[in-house]
Amino acid sequence: MDKLYGYVGKIARINLTDSTVSIIPTSNYVPKYIGGRSVCHKIFWDEVGPEVKAFDPENKLIFMTGPTTATGIPTGGRTVFTGISPNSYPEQYSWSGIGGWFGAELKFAGYDGFILEGKAPEPTYILIEDSEIKFLSAKNLWGKLVHDTQHKLEELHGKKVKSIVIGPAGENLIRNASITTSNDNVAAKSGFGAVFGSKNLKAIAVRGTGVVIPADIQKVMELRMKMGYPYMRPNPVVKENTIGMMGNEIPVEGGWLRGQVACSHGCNQHCNTMMIGMKSAFKDEKVNHVEKCVSIFAFGFKEDCPWTPVEVFGTEKNHSLACKMFSKEPLPPDPSDPYFEELYNTQKGDIVNFWKPDFDKGSIINDLCNEYGIDKWDVIVWLLPWLSMGKKEGVFDDIDFGMEIDVESEEFIRYLFDIIVYRKTYYGNLLAEGMARAIRALGKEKFGDTIYKGRYSQKIPGLRLDIPISLEAAWGHSVHWQGRGFEATINKPGWVCHNLLQMLSTRDAMTAAHHHDTYENYLKMKDDPCHSPLTVQGVIFDENRSELKDSVTTCEWQSPNVFWTEMEAQLFEAATGIEMTEEELDKVAVRSRLLFRAILIRNYGRDRDLEVNAIFPIMTYPDPNNETVSWEEWNDLTDMYYEARGWDKETGWPTRETYEKYDLKEVADELESLGKLPPSKK
Amino acid sequence: MKKQGETTRKYGRHIVQYPMEYSLCAGCTACEIMCALTHDGVVSPSYNRIFVERGTSSMVHTILACQHCVDHPCYDACPLKEKAMCLDENGIVYINEDYCIGCKKCIKACVFDPPRINYVWSKDKTKRKAKKCDLCRTRPEGPACIEYCQVRCIGLSDNQIPANKQLGFQAKEGGRQHG
Ligand code: SF4
Ligand code: SF4
Ligand code: SF4
Repeated sequence: MDKLYGYVGKIARINLTDSTVSIIPTSNYVPKYIGGRSVCHKIFWDEVGPEVKAFDPENKLIFMTGPTTATGIPTGGRTVFTGISPNSYPEQYSWSGIGGWFGAELKFAGYDGFILEGKAPEPTYILIEDSEIKFLSAKNLWGKLVHDTQHKLEELHGKKVKSIVIGPAGENLIRNASITTSNDNVAAKSGFGAVFGSKNLKAIAVRGTGVVIPADIQKVMELRMKMGYPYMRPNPVVKENTIGMMGNEIPVEGGWLRGQVACSHGCNQHCNTMMIGMKSAFKDEKVNHVEKCVSIFAFGFKEDCPWTPVEVFGTEKNHSLACKMFSKEPLPPDPSDPYFEELYNTQKGDIVNFWKPDFDKGSIINDLCNEYGIDKWDVIVWLLPWLSMGKKEGVFDDIDFGMEIDVESEEFIRYLFDIIVYRKTYYGNLLAEGMARAIRALGKEKFGDTIYKGRYSQKIPGLRLDIPISLEAAWGHSVHWQGRGFEATINKPGWVCHNLLQMLSTRDAMTAAHHHDTYENYLKMKDDPCHSPLTVQGVIFDENRSELKDSVTTCEWQSPNVFWTEMEAQLFEAATGIEMTEEELDKVAVRSRLLFRAILIRNYGRDRDLEVNAIFPIMTYPDPNNETVSWEEWNDLTDMYYEARGWDKETGWPTRETYEKYDLKEVADELESLGKLPPSKK
Repeated sequence: MKKQGETTRKYGRHIVQYPMEYSLCAGCTACEIMCALTHDGVVSPSYNRIFVERGTSSMVHTILACQHCVDHPCYDACPLKEKAMCLDENGIVYINEDYCIGCKKCIKACVFDPPRINYVWSKDKTKRKAKKCDLCRTRPEGPACIEYCQVRCIGLSDNQIPANKQLGFQAKEGGRQHG
């Protein structure tokens, strides 16, 4: 190829220990691994062994764009980090997606991605100006809040510079610290902000002036028009008088201003909510926040959010991009659909009474997370509910927290963040290690598994449902559309899929793999989801598409579309000019997924026992319909999944045949030499 | 400073950003992207002739574009007038890149700060080119930036009155002029 389409051709290896940079051609990895997460997997597999821990200089943080990034293909602005996650329990390889304009700018500078390795001798930030990569002292940035750091970088290097930064949480190695870019976009769930901190890296700023060339401009234009309805209409700032989802609506005195904004370069949506003129945790003047779903619960958490089946199971006539719910522009429902009533049968969430509505306090919680650079999920749906439930159940009676535990009090919230982010006091230090570790250190039986007696179903009115005070699902991550706790209002066929997704992951998988299927399939599997091949087929589809959306790249709210399944292949082809069918791209996705599996098996001893035991406990607590799964059901489903994937049922390890089918013979060879390949059936 | 207080200059047909009460810029950059793609077949911050000035943490973005000054100081400054910088029958100043020598004189002459003319730098001096909004004069569908703006927050204005008195004008008194 004389012209490179989609990709820009180089990956920078940035060594912080000795301030050196070397260049790797992107063609070492593509198109076998198409970009984004799939390239990261390959680099990690090749370069990081089982002995490395998250905060070791040997941990590598790999950042990749996709071939669609900066091509104008809708949602291509999404990018991904991978590395050993300090927030995973136990520490494991994980990933974290991030939007913004940084990835596109990096490509304009000439890089498809970079590998961060080593540890800088002193606080450092990296400045990338086209091909030049400099290591600069971060003495004047260290200690700064997220937005102050962003502003300082713009002051130093001009308004056009795009940055990723950490706040004090990352500097102090808080295990759920985030990396932030513009529009309050974060890579948060894997705690990679703390890996930045462990490397003495405060920020990376980039300015690029080069070009990115999509192969098929006509197609790019067509995709921009096609993707996402309703498009091309005004997006006025509106005054809202309440905040929160149904059940949690909080009247806001004087109202508040909502605007909708895009999260990343070239996005054709505006699903992020901008809250204009909010109370700041640090300044007298009001600030704007960009918030997504979880933030809403900071403003009040009396009821869990409702669930409408069409969000997950759709028909040709009624299916809507999920982001359209956020931008409050869903497709108008089509009542001519025979399933119309069922699809739009919204179900109310459990009453949980975690905290009362308080608009300003909610704003403070979100602002503290944004400015310190800390994952909101861990705070809003785990730490704070834990304190609320634990206090009501008396588990903290003998604990001197330094201030009375009171999640209703703004003063307490500020105190709590302060002791955690700056690792003050015994308990601050403990919670800085993340919820999974803190609870185990305190004693899980009492501090994790105590039953909260304040959860009531609204599906079976009056029924009290058991729930543990610690809303842990698996791998050090909290529940998320998993049938209990937060976003629990989904029926069993839905949450079974989500729990299976998380079992197979190293983190909350749902932010990049919400389950999507057709209503037709739902009808066939709903009565016995653990014994239906359609459950497995659906989960494999979710997983493969999740791999693709972080590789092509596209976003969670655009992909997958079960009624336009060749979308990702079309995006890839338009960007790169490399012919691609849906089937071929699926093969790439399975290969990527297999490599992820191989990393877990080789580096972290992943096997069937480990993962089934990690996910099962949370499913023993009832869902809003008072349903659970049995050990037998779950194991039957696991069997079916392993079989469909071509993995050994005993161990959960892929077979040599499976690796070889996806051109991963060398991976099979290495695993065999380590005794981590199941016996061949031949 | 030459670029302040230029509030009496008249403008021809040009791109304006509407106020957020009508439509809030989503910050998607589609306008920049489509401008460069339709003109040059690339996406690049050096090629777009419209600029999204980002509010990184305010998240309120300002669209900067050529205002098509009736007295066209950029055109006047071009040493290769009528070859490199040209004036069409509708008064639109456009660049014929075959003749553009990349001298930057038009950029320096632009009455706005930042200037509304972009610049492609190259080691090869013959490839250095200025990029200026031509209102997509040869595009039958009209301005690509407007056509592809997902929220319709930019549009064409025939208003000849000074930019700071137009709908959506957000300049601070005595400060920089925004289009
Ligand atoms: S480039 Fe600047 S000086 Fe020339 S017409 Fe446009 S706004 Fe006026
Ligand atoms: S009108 Fe055309 S040339 Fe001018 S900024 Fe818009 S897309 Fe670019
Ligand atoms: S296309 Fe419209 S919404 Fe997007 S950045 Fe440009 S003006 Fe703003």
